[in-house]
Amino acid sequence: MPRMIAAADERVGGTRVAVIEVKDLTRTFRSSKGLFRRKAREVEAVRGIDFSVERGELFGLLGPNGAGKTTTIKMLITLLLPTTGRASVLGYDVVAQPREVRRRVGYVFGGDRGLYDRLSGLDNLRYFAELYAVPPREQRTRIHELLELVGLTGREKERVEGYSRGMRQRLHIARGLLHRPEVLFLDEPSIGIDPVGARELRATVKALVEHGTTVLLTTHYMFEADELCDRIAVIAGGEIVSSGTPDDLKQRVSSGPVVEVEVYGVLGGVVDRVQALVGVRSVVVEERGQAQVLLVHVEPGAEVTQSVMSCLEDARVGRVVTREPTLEDAYIELVGTP
Amino acid sequence: MLRLVLVTWWLQLKIRSRSAFDGLLGLLWPLFFATTVFLMYRASGAEGSALLSAAVGASVMGIWSATSTTASFTLQQERRQGTLELLVAAPTPFPLLIFPVTLSMATVGAYSMVATLLWGRFVFGIEIAVANPVAFVLSTLVTVVGIGMLGFLLAISTVRYRSAWAIGAALEIPVWLICGFLIPLDLLPAWVRPIAWLLAPTWGMSAIRDAAEGRGVLVDLLACLALAIAYGLLGMLVSRYMLNSARRRATLALS
Amino acid sequence: MSSLRIFLIGGLTSYRALFTWLTPWILIPSFILGPIFQILFFAYVGRTAGVGSDSFFLIGNAVLYASIPCLFAMGNTIGGERQQGTLPLLLASPAHRIPLFLGRALPVIVNGFGVSAVALVVGALLLQVPLPPASLAPLALVVAVATFSCTGLGLVTAALALRVRETAVLANVVFGILMIFAGVNVPLDTLPSWMGSIAAWLPLTHGIAAAREVAAGASLSSIRTGLFVEAGLGALYIGIGLAMLAWFEREARRRATLETI
Repeated sequence: MPRMIAAADERVGGTRVAVIEVKDLTRTFRSSKGLFRRKAREVEAVRGIDFSVERGELFGLLGPNGAGKTTTIKMLITLLLPTTGRASVLGYDVVAQPREVRRRVGYVFGGDRGLYDRLSGLDNLRYFAELYAVPPREQRTRIHELLELVGLTGREKERVEGYSRGMRQRLHIARGLLHRPEVLFLDEPSIGIDPVGARELRATVKALVEHGTTVLLTTHYMFEADELCDRIAVIAGGEIVSSGTPDDLKQRVSSGPVVEVEVYGVLGGVVDRVQALVGVRSVVVEERGQAQVLLVHVEPGAEVTQSVMSCLEDARVGRVVTREPTLEDAYIELVGTP
Repeated sequence: MLRLVLVTWWLQLKIRSRSAFDGLLGLLWPLFFATTVFLMYRASGAEGSALLSAAVGASVMGIWSATSTTASFTLQQERRQGTLELLVAAPTPFPLLIFPVTLSMATVGAYSMVATLLWGRFVFGIEIAVANPVAFVLSTLVTVVGIGMLGFLLAISTVRYRSAWAIGAALEIPVWLICGFLIPLDLLPAWVRPIAWLLAPTWGMSAIRDAAEGRGVLVDLLACLALAIAYGLLGMLVSRYMLNSARRRATLALS
Repeated sequence: MSSLRIFLIGGLTSYRALFTWLTPWILIPSFILGPIFQILFFAYVGRTAGVGSDSFFLIGNAVLYASIPCLFAMGNTIGGERQQGTLPLLLASPAHRIPLFLGRALPVIVNGFGVSAVALVVGALLLQVPLPPASLAPLALVVAVATFSCTGLGLVTAALALRVRETAVLANVVFGILMIFAGVNVPLDTLPSWMGSIAAWLPLTHGIAAAREVAAGASLSSIRTGLFVEAGLGALYIGIGLAMLAWFEREARRRATLETI
């Protein structure tokens, strides 16, 4: 898949304001195994990516696990040095001017870690407020403001070790916002959160963007990217395989409908035969419980259902549905079946 | 900047005191050794100034214990907790964040010192007569800072090594051995003394003892502070190197 | 026969599995440098205070350190099994529990013996304490018995640690108690009588006394009683420890808390 260079150059009132700029960024990890015969193994986690994010945008980095999303974010928040390439945040180079970057960005990641369990939520926020140089006079009001924003008012005096995962995540967000960052990096924020919590999280993120914060979000949840993001870059295997608005991506991959055929036992060769049919753009097989589902991406305007069914004569067929393409289809096609 | 150090120190102190290992054991462990020492001195029939000197020396052991064992472990703990990367990603210079952490450990040690002195007074009937209380308290504070700084150097230097806690634990008794807490330096082999002179606790301990026995403390305190500053500078250099290396080679679970 | 197999195999695999983190970086500071420094420390304090002799402190502390693997390894073994969730399986298995747990004790005993032996030899060299060659074999026996006895205490500690969650704190506290009461650094006759009574029931007290006698030239037969008492105490503690484990397990089954302890 050819690397697609992010083309989003929305001119806002004549001036283009790029808040994050990434050019040709790579990151290689070297790991050595064995005590005596040290075999070095090089892993290219990020293989030359380019993108840029405008001010006030909600930009999504979408990809499966291990695609290089976290590595990219860590380079942007100056925790990792790029192997080659350049990146800048708010005009500051991440390698040369890390402190300037750190002062202006917030970093929130999903999961249980990242908080001091033995301190209360309030103390945690006090601690990080000091670290992030929030002016002392402002700290108290700011902390309470944020506790209200994330819905933890009343629970802040309890020790974090008693918080649920959702509460921790919310405290994380409060922490990330203490110093009023211009750019917020969210690394898989809804991992392990219940649907209600995740919905609230998304609402909070949307509100932030409305108030002018630029957000870069990484996720492997397609619907999340679809719902939230203004623009998405799909990353897989360390490369950006596609980027654009969610609608763009859906269009780009397939503007025709998708025929879903439930099959019990796909025989060898069938997939190739369906692929070879006129009007079929691509075929992907998905496992769904007992059955397999053939996702047939069809050229717009083509009528292939009959021919597909005839290829499947020998197999046991369940439901057949024709529907519009979703971002998930685009994603699977771009990234390859996991 | 001072505010940052104070707030961080205070919150870290809260964290330490809420753990049975750091808090309770930090108090008890040196007390076991102090009790043994008190019993030894009682068995030898020692009295008066010798006994007081031993009591004071034994009490300071706790400040070092509390620091050495935890300092070499604390950054690994932060890493496991997921907070290490948050500390590095903060705009505040990393060394400035770590010093209050080790200072809080040394503070727990100061509590242990008081506990040991009280223990000596009420259980063993040792007369804790301090000739110069102001100088005593001042010397204790300076010693706490000096040991905190040494702990800071220890913490920074061992941040990459997962089993560094074992080395920190192994350093507990050697410092007791050579820094003049209970054993006068001239009883030790000559080659040990220069090493002792390079360690802040030696000077801090000397100042505390001098204050208890009514002698001048200025030289000792200055030496202790000078060494503390040296540790700080060294620690900052090491920290810069370590962090750069970690960012380049993706160690420290920063990735 | 199967009991013996469980004993040996269960012990070694469990030990290895839980000690994969025991690298030279941990081994050398904890098991070699630690005891040697403690020996030096107390020897010099003794010189400063004018009490005891180098040999006195050497033997006391060297034998004391046999308890470290016993206290921590047993605690870690049981605690580790609890953390890994294998403890209920272990306690529920039909295999006879005694060989099972004793199997876990064997590597610990070897470990403890090794620590003491190295500490004794190196300490003797550093402090220039002469250990008559004739006394070496009897000393080895005494140390072995003392270590065995400590394992029992280690088992009790481990059982207690199942209830209280802080294994490390408990093990450290027990070590401290041993150091104060077992005549490690202070002659037992200088201690108040109530302390002496407690000391008589602790592991290591008799072992250390016997070791000192042997180092001073006593024959094996003269310390026979001390050795028997030491070994007997060890068996007693093992019994208590196993009983405690069984009791906690029954209680836990009643309250379904074994998973959450």
